[in-house]
Amino acid sequence: MSDRILRLQHVEVRVPDLELCTAYYTEVVGLIEVAHEEGRVFLKCWDEHEHHSVVLRQAPTYGLDHMSFKVAEAADLDYYTDRVEKAGIAVKRFAARELGPGWGEAIRFEAPSGHLVELVYGMEKVGNMLPLTNPPPRPANLVGIAPPRLDHIFIMAEDVDGTCAFFRDVLEFRLTEQILANDGHQLATWLERSHTPHDIAIVTGPNGALHHFAFWVDDWNGVREAADLLAFNGVTIDVAPTRHGVTRGYTVYFFDPVGNRNEVFTGGYWVDPDFEPITWTEEEMGRAMFYYAGQVNERFFTVHS
Amino acid sequence: MGILRLAHVDVRTPDLELSTAYYTEVLGLQLAERGEDTVYLKCWDEEDHHSVRLRYDPRTGLDLFSFRVEREDDLAELEQAVEQYGCQVQRVSRGEAVGQGESIRFGIPSGQTMELVHELDRPGNILGKLNPAPVPPPDLPGIAPPRLDHMLINAEEVGEAGAFFQQVLGFRMTEQVLDANGHQLGIWLERSHSPHDIAIVNGPNGALHHFAFWLDDWDHVRKAADILAFNGVQIDQGPTRHGVTRGNTIYFFDPLGIRNEVFTGGYRPDPDFPSITWTEDQFGRGLFYYENVISQRFLRFHT
Repeated sequence: MSDRILRLQHVEVRVPDLELCTAYYTEVVGLIEVAHEEGRVFLKCWDEHEHHSVVLRQAPTYGLDHMSFKVAEAADLDYYTDRVEKAGIAVKRFAARELGPGWGEAIRFEAPSGHLVELVYGMEKVGNMLPLTNPPPRPANLVGIAPPRLDHIFIMAEDVDGTCAFFRDVLEFRLTEQILANDGHQLATWLERSHTPHDIAIVTGPNGALHHFAFWVDDWNGVREAADLLAFNGVTIDVAPTRHGVTRGYTVYFFDPVGNRNEVFTGGYWVDPDFEPITWTEEEMGRAMFYYAGQVNERFFTVHS
Repeated sequence: MGILRLAHVDVRTPDLELSTAYYTEVLGLQLAERGEDTVYLKCWDEEDHHSVRLRYDPRTGLDLFSFRVEREDDLAELEQAVEQYGCQVQRVSRGEAVGQGESIRFGIPSGQTMELVHELDRPGNILGKLNPAPVPPPDLPGIAPPRLDHMLINAEEVGEAGAFFQQVLGFRMTEQVLDANGHQLGIWLERSHSPHDIAIVNGPNGALHHFAFWLDDWDHVRKAADILAFNGVQIDQGPTRHGVTRGNTIYFFDPLGIRNEVFTGGYRPDPDFPSITWTEDQFGRGLFYYENVISQRFLRFHT
């Protein structure tokens, strides 16, 4: 039986200045440019095997075009088409390479929060930057932060309960943590398929909005080095290196040159599929988000793209 | 679906008191339960009843290792697959083994006893589920790893043992070391999207090479080395880095000679991850990337 949805495969973001953003994502974040076409640039992290994990799209506004999750088998696309259609949501199907270079076969549909969600199978494998025989533990000559891989995405929704229920009931994501308001509704939720604290998280805010997407780094020292590089390059740091209560992860938040929020993240824990979710109460929301400061800056909740 | 991860390792010790003191005070595991001649231990972040069982016996060594399956049905499916391969399977009912429900046990081709289990008693980790701190209390003794990570066993025929894990149990090979004739000297296998849940290297059938606990990062590996050295524990190798798995590591021996490891790092393989191959002439770097030596103690010593 298939493992179904494995993990976040890629994000496609809109940028009003493609050249500036390409320079930022390749030289400061340290992604690798794999391909480009008119109005789009395809990037990957050094340890990823698939063709791309970040796509930049030239557009008049910033924000999220869509998010894509990798499924284990081709038949999973039929399986989820059926489930999403049964939920009353239209599904569009795309052949391999139809959506862009290196792209797999895909289905797309709109989540209740208005976000375009894609499931993809059979992305072109271009290999990580290491040989498959006697590989060193990391490539030489990486520039910038050079995270090994994309980790998770964080979106906003007016109705967190409803959107979370869609990801759980229809797409079979599992809830790891939630912040509950005093009246019992969900202020924010964290969901996983990859046995990590989260592949996607949802927080209260405008439908369709992107809060951030995050790259993995190996450890807390990697977070510190990332902060040094960001500050050196004049990148706006939103939240300086700290720790989350939720996910237990270490983090630094910052903005790309057009205002999309990025994160580098490490830490967390392993979860079995029957992990009992953790609940944070509204009074402890500050510690839940930023464990050391115990409070959330206003910008963190109000600025999005 | 199928096997999720390593659940517990059951070992024998001729000095139960000494071993218990070492695993609770130096390694920093939590005492979960004591029997007449058994001690059950767990790591602070583990939700299940135990991840290490110590049992008094005149001879040091491995009783069995146990993997958790995702669904109750997986037990019957895997029981059938293991029987079809030709192994005898023993059903262990709820109540026969402390801290868990029904399980199946069988001898694998390299002679060790393996268990598969779904239902584990779940006392929870030490943080709880309501507004939990992201860290355990600062006064936990010893290294205090959050969880058990993987184990390494020996096999005379690594290829045969590895084929059993892959074809019958659905493990995926992430890395292998090949000798000049193309024989497998060592293989690394995963179910949990990590570089390895179990590895098999050439050596005597039935032997345990080591079992390993997860640490958060390289800094924690350094602290572990400090704690081990302070307590007079014999360090086998490290702190250093592996070529295979890319992990950061230290190996050391418990008071009765069972090799332990603390481990961090690595990568995240999808099920379609292309396996990595190490050639025999690079085996030194594969094992210990900085030293580039094949330690005879590391290869020859086991329990």
